[in-house]
Amino acid sequence: MRDRLEEALRRSDAEYADIRIEDSTSSWLNFRGRELDSIGSSKSIGGIVRALVKGGWGYSTFNDMNDLGKRVKEACESARMVGKEETQFAQVEPVVDVMKATLEKDFREISLSEKKNIVEEYNEIALGYHNKIQTTSVGYGDNFRKIYFASTEGTYIEDERPNTFLYVSSTAREGNNVQNGFESISGKTGFQVIEGFQKRAEKSSQRAVELLSAPPVKGGKYTVVIDPKLSGVFAHEAFGHLSESDFVYENDRMKELMVLGKRFGSDILNIIDDGSYKGGIGTHKYDDEGVKTKENYLIKEGILVGRLHSRETSAKMNEKPTGNSRSISYQYPPIVRMTNTYIDKGKTSFEDMIKDIKLGILAVDSIGGQTSMEMFTFSAGYAYMIRDGKIAELVRDVVLTGNVFDILMNIDMISDEVIWSPGGPGGCGKGGQSPLPVGLGGPYVRIQNVVVGGRQ
Amino acid sequence: MVVTQLIEKAMKKAQGAQAWLNQSESTDVSFETNRLKSVESSQQTSLGLKVILDGKVGSSHTTDINDIEGVVNRALESAEFGSPAHFDFPEPQEAIDVKIYDANVLPLTKTEMANIGEEMIALVREYNPEILNYASVNKNIYNGEFANSKGVEYSSEATSFSLGVSGQLVRGTDILWTGHGFGWKKRDIDHIEIAKETIKRFKMAEKIASIKSGNVPVIFPPDSLMIILLALRLGVNGKNVFLGSSPLAGRLGEKIADEKLTIIDNGLIDYMSGSNKYDGEGVPHKVLPIIENGILKNFLYDLDTAGRAGTKTTGHGVGCNPTNIVIKEGDISFEDMLKNTKEGLMVYDVMGLGQGNVMSGEFSVNVNLGFKIENGEIVGRVKDVMLAGNTYDAITKIESMSNTVECVGGYLIAPYMKISSLSVVAK
Repeated sequence: MRDRLEEALRRSDAEYADIRIEDSTSSWLNFRGRELDSIGSSKSIGGIVRALVKGGWGYSTFNDMNDLGKRVKEACESARMVGKEETQFAQVEPVVDVMKATLEKDFREISLSEKKNIVEEYNEIALGYHNKIQTTSVGYGDNFRKIYFASTEGTYIEDERPNTFLYVSSTAREGNNVQNGFESISGKTGFQVIEGFQKRAEKSSQRAVELLSAPPVKGGKYTVVIDPKLSGVFAHEAFGHLSESDFVYENDRMKELMVLGKRFGSDILNIIDDGSYKGGIGTHKYDDEGVKTKENYLIKEGILVGRLHSRETSAKMNEKPTGNSRSISYQYPPIVRMTNTYIDKGKTSFEDMIKDIKLGILAVDSIGGQTSMEMFTFSAGYAYMIRDGKIAELVRDVVLTGNVFDILMNIDMISDEVIWSPGGPGGCGKGGQSPLPVGLGGPYVRIQNVVVGGRQ
Repeated sequence: MVVTQLIEKAMKKAQGAQAWLNQSESTDVSFETNRLKSVESSQQTSLGLKVILDGKVGSSHTTDINDIEGVVNRALESAEFGSPAHFDFPEPQEAIDVKIYDANVLPLTKTEMANIGEEMIALVREYNPEILNYASVNKNIYNGEFANSKGVEYSSEATSFSLGVSGQLVRGTDILWTGHGFGWKKRDIDHIEIAKETIKRFKMAEKIASIKSGNVPVIFPPDSLMIILLALRLGVNGKNVFLGSSPLAGRLGEKIADEKLTIIDNGLIDYMSGSNKYDGEGVPHKVLPIIENGILKNFLYDLDTAGRAGTKTTGHGVGCNPTNIVIKEGDISFEDMLKNTKEGLMVYDVMGLGQGNVMSGEFSVNVNLGFKIENGEIVGRVKDVMLAGNTYDAITKIESMSNTVECVGGYLIAPYMKISSLSVVAK
């Protein structure tokens, strides 16, 4: 492949060009209720060429692998049409690296029937938990992606990216009241990741049934304690996206708002993005521009100290590349993305965080989140009221919202352990690229004065 | 055709088969921070096969058009462990023609597309040079082939075209994002009108107004009706109905909404995004009422789900999702609807839609772009506001609908809808 890519890149007359090819095999199956809904396997191959001329980008994506040179020329031609300025593109040392994935249990050697049997068992557990379980959606998927990357600077990387995921979603129903429970996991180390999920399959249904009798939360302002998974979503939505420098680098107003050295939170607050974190869902050795990933502090002791970069944004902002240029597949150019983002552990025990809360909410697990840069919102899977320092009744439909520029100041306690979420089929969406695997986790975090949506 | 080769090969072992091939070529021109940023060309191939083998279903797909052997083998292999087939592939049927190809899309050059983007941005900047603009112009040409073992066999050619401009205006820590876009299967989109709509929204947002927490009437322009429609989309999905997870299961013929509400699924409107002569299983599209004068009329089915549920496909394969949604207009003008609102909210854009328990109808969203109405007039943009309610409750509280409809995003035709009371939580 290396020769083919380098041969094709010789057709480039751009200042810079690269090719990324992705060769992937995958299999999937899912149950809806009693029955298998679909099962199958597929193969795909495709690629993208990027070319840079006078600051303008040309891209060409393709499935047809026959004439790579033609794709290179096409991208160069587009780039020439766009480019009218001077190219700024951070220098990085070219690397040649061929990486092999190690799988404890190789899912490619496990038959579809074996995969089906294990998923069916989880489905039976979830369905059989209670007579109020109306239906389930239980799915499994795996894919093995081999990435080939070559650039006109001489970088050549082969990377193998295996992934396996499993989810169990249980629906409980009582008349018009329909509630869901959800448990999921994903991992890169092989099929064993999804084994031993029986307890969690049961938990999914247990939660759905319990939520049937949980009242919706009453809207208003509360002291909220968020669990490790939600604190990961919080770090991601309430701050992480703002630190993606493609929102900042050509925007003078945003540059003023996001000037390094500015205080965003109190001294106890540290936020980190780390694409090299061992075993992380968002971990790779190199990003999709061939830049080595690393630990990047975004907030240190409450102060903005860094941001996430691609080679282009780092050059334009005169900061160092961080290895955060990622794409979900060969159908998209890489853009600035998070990897594994978390609030670092603090010093308080969980018990101490809740003991003086008269009326508050313990929000657990995440259904999703979104940000508009200024405002963010995210939904808890479920939550408990905190009354007089004790965890009280289960409540549902808890959506938290706030302003990114003042919410971090409201964090007054952080627990003493970082716990990573087990992952799942989903991920982050940006610029039409979704889902990108990102690591979510952190400590328990207490936030004062959070607006919780809901009915009066 | 490639698909007939696939069918032939598959039928050596299988008792039924369906194959499709989709190929597309697209061009995308993007602007960032007021400047042309990138031009992208994409070529995509997708080849797929579904088989019925010994009463069980299997499938596979690939991006490699030469991998016919591989697709057939993988589909047959997966059928060994597949789910029981509750259906048979359909015979050829009479179908109604609908326009999905516009010859004006193909000749459009990258330079012409870039000019469209530049003109839109220039207009928005003319209104306010402080706004940083993002724009995109996209065109697609699709070639499809479809065949099944019952003799259905056709090929189709389709186009699509879309464009939009959005801007960001930062004042202090107030970051306002808004914009407008449109797409369908036709070249004919007036980009000047799109830019004007973006400007209109910026103008409406110039002033900031505050709103108190409480229950207030809310006007949804066609743009934001998805807040209400999202749960209904899932609720009328035949699969959710069959599995009983839809709150609408078992309620056909019941009055579930105010009688002003009529919703029709129509996959046969020329050039709209969800239009096609057939669905993805070779079944002709038709016009299907979903809710008529508040009464629940039909659920959407594909072959497999209809088979399981003991009913017939409605031409919504694969997946039982709507094609284009048409909501019938009401009887008062938008101006009167506004005038009749003493204190309320008009919502254009929200964050967090689809994050909660969507199936149950519950929504709790952050208002990204919304306006306070006072004594019949829009007085300014609201900030830090959450809107909450339940779709199934809201559609019983439709106070009025406007007597004009607009086409949104190429898949929805709808009037303005006013719900008499929804919950608002302000900071």
